[in-house]
Amino acid sequence: MSSVSPAAPRLAPRPLRHRRSARRLTAGQQADLRRAIAEVQAIGDDRGYQRWAGIHGLPLPISCVHGDELFLPWHRAYLYLFEKALQDRVPGVTLPWWDWTNHTEGIPGPYARKNVEGKKNSLYDSPIQPSGRENPRQTRTSREPEDADSLPSAAEIERLLAEEDYLTFQNGLESIHAGVHLWTGGTMGRVPTAAYDPLFWAHHCMIDRLWYLWQLRNNGAGVPASQLDRALAPFPMTVRQTLEITQLGYDYAASTAAAKGPGRG
Amino acid sequence: MVEKFTTDAIELPPRDRPFKRADLLFYGLDHSGPSYEGRVFIDPRGVGKAADSTHRAYAGRFYIFGHGGCFGEVGHCDLPSDADPFDLRPSHQLEPATRIVTVTDTVRDLLERGAETAKVTVVARSEGRAPNDVLAFETVRLATYA
Repeated sequence: MSSVSPAAPRLAPRPLRHRRSARRLTAGQQADLRRAIAEVQAIGDDRGYQRWAGIHGLPLPISCVHGDELFLPWHRAYLYLFEKALQDRVPGVTLPWWDWTNHTEGIPGPYARKNVEGKKNSLYDSPIQPSGRENPRQTRTSREPEDADSLPSAAEIERLLAEEDYLTFQNGLESIHAGVHLWTGGTMGRVPTAAYDPLFWAHHCMIDRLWYLWQLRNNGAGVPASQLDRALAPFPMTVRQTLEITQLGYDYAASTAAAKGPGRG
Repeated sequence: MVEKFTTDAIELPPRDRPFKRADLLFYGLDHSGPSYEGRVFIDPRGVGKAADSTHRAYAGRFYIFGHGGCFGEVGHCDLPSDADPFDLRPSHQLEPATRIVTVTDTVRDLLERGAETAKVTVVARSEGRAPNDVLAFETVRLATYA
């Protein structure tokens, strides 16, 4: 099958923004993320959280793509555009990834605490708009996580990353992704409501990161060429535009640190 | 929809035809209901509905992220009966899914024990308090790769 993917990661012309492990966010990075999510949650129009969460599930139409070749590209575009909405509120903020292969704590700390510094933690839960509910009582997101040891293991992911065929890799990753939705339970456990939970974005960031790691290992293999110009409705992007994350302005890092230079004189 | 399903016997590859990998491919999986885990057992004598990964016949698992029912009006979740090759709209949300479960070691073990065929059992475990009778698929195929 003919396929296309980036030959090698290319650096973008401007400094990339780093998506970091949720467990390794500094206190300041956590505060920025909480503020960005809270501010977007507070907006009631089409820039707001309810609109973004509703694209994936309810209200109809349910636009997310599962079970076909576009599962990974569609969710990459979704995360990219939601992250842009967050950056409109807090410049430079990025979505973190939830490394669920680390079984020390299950749901990562920044998302697990109901309150932080005496204030409600916007990463813990979210309201669900009336048109997004499966039933009228479902006013906020909830979780019912299982035992952390039953999350996917690092060995399982390593086996998956060794797959050489894109469609086999994507099929396996989609199945594992569904297992983590099921593991989290509650609103995350079902397509119509999953994206209302702030944890959704960290989970899908991990999925996107694994696709990126697979891309790095498999130069020349990837999304079938016949799919590259397909639109990723309702987003103004095609599959081709999702292939190189550095062209979307981000990268994945376990942690980052920076120091100022001498300036440009 | 069922909670547990056992196939007819599937022919195993000949013992003199070595392979690097064996996959079970489940085609036509329904995902209109609750999310669930499909636990897969091969040569499944004694597999009950509560069987898990500790059972001797356990071969792997797959997951389905379910739509949790229909939220539209009558006909909203009906799959189109004929695919129009000139229809550029995205495919229907409930087009059946495919899942691949790699079962190389299990198949090798069966061949070493002299088996020529094996049945496959899938047991569904749903999210939360959702019912477990969520399993429906069209075909399962055993494929080996040299």
